[in-house]
Amino acid sequence: MNKGFAIDCIGYALFAVFVVLIIPWLANYSGYDLNVYARYLVLGMAAAAVALSWGTAGILNLGQALTFGIGSYIMAMHLKLKASEAQAGGMPDFMGWTNMEELPWFWEPFQSVSFTLAAGILIPVAIASLIGGFMFRGRITGVFVAIITLSLMLAVQLWIISEQRFTGGQNGLTGLAALELFGWSVDVYGLAFYYMVAGCLLVVLTLALLFLRSKAGLVLRAIRADPERTRFFGYDVSTYEVVAFATSAGIAGIAGMLYAMILGFASPTYMGLSLSLAFVIWAAVGGRESIVAATLGGIGVNMAEGRLSDLFFDQWTLILGVIFIVVVLFLPRGLFGLVMDLRIKLESHFMANPISRMNTSLDKHRSETTASQREGK
Amino acid sequence: MHSWLNEIFIGLSLTSILLMVALGLAIIYGTMGVINLAHGQFVMIGAYVAWFLQSQFGIGIIVGLPLIFIAGALLGLAVERTIIQRLYTRPLDTILATWGIGIVLEQLVRGLFGSDSRYVARPEFLDGNLILAGVHMSYYRLFIIGFALLTLAVTWFLLFRTEFGTKLRAVIQNKEISECYGVSANRVYAVTFAYGAGLAAIAGALITPMVSVTPTMGTGVVVDAFLVVIVGGVGSIVGTAAAALMIGEATAWLSYLLSETTARILILLGVIVLIRFRPQGLFPDKVRR
Amino acid sequence: MAALTLEKLTVKFGGLVAVNELDLHISDGELRCLLGPNGAGKSTTLDLICGKTLPTSGRILLGDQDITHLPEFKRARAGVGRKFQTPTVFKELSVIENLEIGRSAFPGVFSTMRVFRTPIRGQIREVLSLVGLDYEIYTKAENLSHGQTQWLEIAMLLMQDCHVILMDEPTAGMTAQETKQTASLFRELQGEHTMIVVEHDMAFVRDIADIVTVMDGGSLLAEGSIAEIETNAAVREAYLTDTGDDDA
Repeated sequence: MNKGFAIDCIGYALFAVFVVLIIPWLANYSGYDLNVYARYLVLGMAAAAVALSWGTAGILNLGQALTFGIGSYIMAMHLKLKASEAQAGGMPDFMGWTNMEELPWFWEPFQSVSFTLAAGILIPVAIASLIGGFMFRGRITGVFVAIITLSLMLAVQLWIISEQRFTGGQNGLTGLAALELFGWSVDVYGLAFYYMVAGCLLVVLTLALLFLRSKAGLVLRAIRADPERTRFFGYDVSTYEVVAFATSAGIAGIAGMLYAMILGFASPTYMGLSLSLAFVIWAAVGGRESIVAATLGGIGVNMAEGRLSDLFFDQWTLILGVIFIVVVLFLPRGLFGLVMDLRIKLESHFMANPISRMNTSLDKHRSETTASQREGK
Repeated sequence: MHSWLNEIFIGLSLTSILLMVALGLAIIYGTMGVINLAHGQFVMIGAYVAWFLQSQFGIGIIVGLPLIFIAGALLGLAVERTIIQRLYTRPLDTILATWGIGIVLEQLVRGLFGSDSRYVARPEFLDGNLILAGVHMSYYRLFIIGFALLTLAVTWFLLFRTEFGTKLRAVIQNKEISECYGVSANRVYAVTFAYGAGLAAIAGALITPMVSVTPTMGTGVVVDAFLVVIVGGVGSIVGTAAAALMIGEATAWLSYLLSETTARILILLGVIVLIRFRPQGLFPDKVRR
Repeated sequence: MAALTLEKLTVKFGGLVAVNELDLHISDGELRCLLGPNGAGKSTTLDLICGKTLPTSGRILLGDQDITHLPEFKRARAGVGRKFQTPTVFKELSVIENLEIGRSAFPGVFSTMRVFRTPIRGQIREVLSLVGLDYEIYTKAENLSHGQTQWLEIAMLLMQDCHVILMDEPTAGMTAQETKQTASLFRELQGEHTMIVVEHDMAFVRDIADIVTVMDGGSLLAEGSIAEIETNAAVREAYLTDTGDDDA
């Protein structure tokens, strides 16, 4: 816990500079490109959510897109209501097509911006706490967590597709209005919106890093290594797991809300198997042990996809598949692992040599003296 | 009265398909602990091989089965030797690698044959229905039920009545000690993976007359197969069969009583509850590790 | 006053009765040694006390608190610490991080979220130098020697500062000198802590034990001072008729 704090801060500061200064410059400050990069940032945030529970606590959540999708639907519901104000009874158009008489009760509260913003975080957190409590109190681990989260996501996705009169079904929620915050009508193609997304990302990552840097993060790492042993030191492992799981769900919820704004619609594919596994894979490419690396993985893969899919058309997906296989085979800790290995090599090359030599001689000295001290006791 | 008999038959038909698909996966997961998300793509490739044989050479599904099995097994062998064998110490990572393999296979097939749906005709001698107590049972579905049982029997025989099966079970129980006694675990793994992939390909070929063949057909298949394997219990082929029967019949009945979507949602939720309270599965293999 | 009381504690695994109607009273500050041939149920008894295994019947009292049905982490909070037979530390964490995990007076999420540094002074300093790991603070536990790993786990238990400490073969894999150091450490802990030590090394047992309990086939065979046990006919019988190569 004590070590490497300065280096991590420098790394994070570089990341912040990249997000705040370099990306807008890369995008030429032009609206369309800024919107695209904002999307990458949001997908990076989703990858960070995966890394938070997987890389730290060892909980592989294959259903991360569930909470992401719920976040996006919550935001879309609010924006849809806003767009439908002129309609009869303020009802969204698709409800009229399915002969709904009045707005369903659970749509009502989403008229309010503040309720929507709170719900976009708290509902994913609540769902994750419930399902997490259900799983982790039963000491479910590893592949079983993966299957349960995956099944739940598919079940909810099926429900959303089938209940067209409430959810817009397969089409999702389209034709959304612009969000209005404190009288500011958000233009998703503007620089201001990009900075709002970047700000959300940096705040979320900072808070998450604080959490992981604290002793709670250390306990999570201990749990990943040996949950049984951690219990015998008095830590309630399942509560820690639920907290990590729910925190990552909250982050995914925020990402989902932003995503619905950026693309201007919410769709059942947001909680699909492909997107969910893509989150996991981006986190793996960047490095699951660090949420910043996972974010960069998400941003990087999507940036590459944006550039290369123009060049290779359909073959891009093929290339992506090959990259994933290669990363899993040869870089199990992702690009972050590669960087860390380099750092350790550099450290031992430039500085640690004389110190470690000193240490070993001290060691000898110490083991002799302490041994005799203890003899004397 | 014939309506519930009808549902039982539909359930059995679903069961036989689930069993065919899940059996290969169960063997691979039970032996190596590899979570093979590319299994659905193996099924898809089997379907495409069947389509290719029929459309290019006029070879019917059933005559072509040995070829289809060999094609699937060779593909499985290639995948195991190049990728999977490096991941035996990291089972959770196999989820990612095999998902990547799945993407690659899907994309290759799309590149070769396009994304259009392909149709494969069932063998003519299996056209028509058997009418029993007022229930129309298509001969082809009956054939698949029989074939699934045969596959189960053959697999059971391979595992428990052959020298290879003995070696396989020895490796499952203790890899290191088996190797001390001269069993090459690597070889056992390779053969098992190839066999599982071959079974997947056969399953893919046999379902072609009932579904449309597309490059993306594998994704849905693998999830169902996985639920069956986990519910059945790791390493138990009896459990896999029982779970396939349970999920197949439940799907048929719930779809009949409620709706297809509700049935699927309820089954997914049921599976979640089952895993939570019985993570070892319905019929756990007691002597495992 | 009894620090720990087992009442008719029984556990069955399928048909096998691993511990059979075991009664045990351990008074406050006592150091109890648990002996017995392999398979006598010694480790299982420790498992029952720390909650790794749940009993089929019987009661476990810590002081006068019934802990029979408490989950592991609550027993740990109530004051039961456990050292495992094969040293079990967190290999991916450094020595100081392992000790921080051991320092678990406030184990809740909301408490740990506010801790950001391990102060390397006071108790931690003392414990580090006591176990001779003060120059390995940032070493990953996986890079320690076997003996050092044993010491690290003991150090973690010292940080945990439990009232009742269960030690499963603490000297296994230690050199003769390290064993001596362990004995002197145990004598120091005795009084303030109550300890149950499973051990095969008779010299070590003679060195530290107040009272010795001998188990065989899951039941209590004999109890008394070391001298009484060594001359006890039933004990001799058990060790001679059981596996002859037992190193106890």
